[in-house]
Amino acid sequence: MTDARFPSHPITPEESPIVSAPPRADCIADSAGGLTFDLDVPEGGREPQALVLLRRGGDDQADEVRLPLTPNGDGRLRAVLPSTVAMAEGRWDVHLDRGEEGGPQRLLPGLADLRSLVDRRPGPSTSPLAVRIPYATKHGNLSVRSWLRAPHAEAGDLTLSAEGITGRGTLHRVENPQEWLTDAVVEARSRRSAAVVRTAPVTAEGQEFTFTLAYAGLCADWKGGPEVWDLWLCRADGSAEARLARILDDVADKKQIFVYPGLPVSAPYAPAEVGPYYTADNDLAVRVDERPPVS
Amino acid sequence: MHISFLIHNAYGIGGTIRTTYNLAGTLAEQHDVEIVSVFRHREEPVFATPGKVRLRHLVDLRKDGPGYEGDHPEARRPATVFPATEGRYKQYSALTDRRIAEHLRSLDCDVVVGTRPGLNVHIAQQARRGPVRVGQEHLTLSTHSAPLKLTLRTHYPRLDAVTTVTEADAQTYRKLMRLPGVRVEAVPNSVPAPLVAPADGTGKWVVAAGRLAPAKRYDVLIRAFAKVVAERPDWRLRIYGAGVEKAKLRKLIDDLGLYNHVLLMGPANPLDPEWVKGSIGAVTSSLESFGMTIVEAMRCGLPVVSTDCPHGPGEIIDNGADGLLVPVGKTDAIAAGLLKLINDDELRKRMGRQALENAARFDPAQIAGRYERLFGELATRGTLRGSLHRTRGALLSSALRTTDAGRSALRRVRAA
Repeated sequence: MTDARFPSHPITPEESPIVSAPPRADCIADSAGGLTFDLDVPEGGREPQALVLLRRGGDDQADEVRLPLTPNGDGRLRAVLPSTVAMAEGRWDVHLDRGEEGGPQRLLPGLADLRSLVDRRPGPSTSPLAVRIPYATKHGNLSVRSWLRAPHAEAGDLTLSAEGITGRGTLHRVENPQEWLTDAVVEARSRRSAAVVRTAPVTAEGQEFTFTLAYAGLCADWKGGPEVWDLWLCRADGSAEARLARILDDVADKKQIFVYPGLPVSAPYAPAEVGPYYTADNDLAVRVDERPPVS
Repeated sequence: MHISFLIHNAYGIGGTIRTTYNLAGTLAEQHDVEIVSVFRHREEPVFATPGKVRLRHLVDLRKDGPGYEGDHPEARRPATVFPATEGRYKQYSALTDRRIAEHLRSLDCDVVVGTRPGLNVHIAQQARRGPVRVGQEHLTLSTHSAPLKLTLRTHYPRLDAVTTVTEADAQTYRKLMRLPGVRVEAVPNSVPAPLVAPADGTGKWVVAAGRLAPAKRYDVLIRAFAKVVAERPDWRLRIYGAGVEKAKLRKLIDDLGLYNHVLLMGPANPLDPEWVKGSIGAVTSSLESFGMTIVEAMRCGLPVVSTDCPHGPGEIIDNGADGLLVPVGKTDAIAAGLLKLINDDELRKRMGRQALENAARFDPAQIAGRYERLFGELATRGTLRGSLHRTRGALLSSALRTTDAGRSALRRVRAA
């Protein structure tokens, strides 16, 4: 298969040995959100000192996480990233620091065992929910996608009907979910203007909730071209809110995998097409756009 | 033994390349093994070359390299030795004819192994006397065109052995080809043990993987899964792979309203970490030369529900013990098979453990052992017998060439 996501082994043809191939790090995720990195001791050069994660676009001290490397008892080196280590939301590039000039060296992805992230159900707690999913970048390097949310509204199944989008979700990391969700609403906020908002009532049972967002409201003022609505779960008294997002699994980038059809809607202005999608940050949004011509 | 593999392009991606690397790497633990690649189009091979295996090429196609031979005058003239009936004919030329001939005349080995029909024909015609000549069939005889079948009938009598990946295909060879003195033996592809711990059977995911190609019939799987979801909406399906069918499958998922339950995951390599996220493997192909993904899933501890299509699945799955065989193209039967394992946690876990155990027979060490015995037995048959056999083979070949010319269909030829 092409476009290898996690190529298994370094490519070292005997005819042309690569002298300074970047090492690969295997990664195992645990259900609590922690990550363990294992890598071979690199040949030659100086002793590796630490695994360094640098947040892309960051230049603060908080945008660097150093993890000590220790022997894992199997002749390899291990670094552990517990969920308790604070990491801001974003993309963190993984490096190996060997104390050499030129700074830390970028690591390549090895084997990624992320099975414990699949269908993850975090336990009750009020501390922020930390989600880290390792992935291979489009250039083939190892990075970690990080989210930090409190509270967190996890988006589940979406059902598309002729009238609107019905969504199911789960509220995490609040003291009393049932109380929090009483009279709560889902707000669709237009990217066109912060003032343009549509709301849908929420039905809750425990920490689970459902809502139906009608197409009519989203299309009422639409005047052609793409319009995007971001979805938020908001407490009745406006004291707290959570972005609807899908982050509790092993899929770092939902956009191309959790795909939903756009449905035709007779908007007042012109025929439109409406459908939900996940943004590059795995947040849930709804797009209203012109209907593609029927071929 | 000194074993020399001849392959189309060891630097690319594909089942034959992966399998050859697995086999060569394991044989190299005991023997002197080289892989000779007709073409080299990139600096490094996509798959890691196993440690002790020597890799070299005959024609350099590295675009920006100093040794680029793509515009060699001989490269523009069509091949005459590599058969025109072979699918890769257009990539071969007078240059490959000459380079392969030079290589085969100067072979310094005990066994030479061809990995595709056209290269097996080269070996049959041009390998110097001495080395044992083995032609591997990685696809199946029945999927070859009638003209290619005739080509193979003409040349394969000069081989010492033909290997197929299934017993079913070996039987087809024995039935349709006149191959006196040629050993026809089925040796399945090998699949190494996964590098991750096996699945524990608790994840509510069915996993399928392979190219999104028509023969894989993922449309049938998706339709069958609609019936699964109707009964067990808590179970979902992941399909790994890329291919031409993607847009069609996407539309089918949307039309059936399965967008919450069926995910097209895109390609993944390696697949082992993805298999273990599921508890059941699914294969709904209409045709499988072997069924590599079935073995891969089983080695990860998954029972597989597979269509009983030609040629491999029935030889891999012990129906009812380590997986289930269901009729080709029947969505009801496929759904029933999946639901049987979904609805019975104990059965699913037991079959998963059995799959893990039974699939160990495909370990590279086991498969290499079978090749090792085959090569060893052929090598000790003696040079006298070998040369007699080849003389006879040559006579038969030319005799058949004339008879075949007058026949319209191969199946009319009586088996030897």
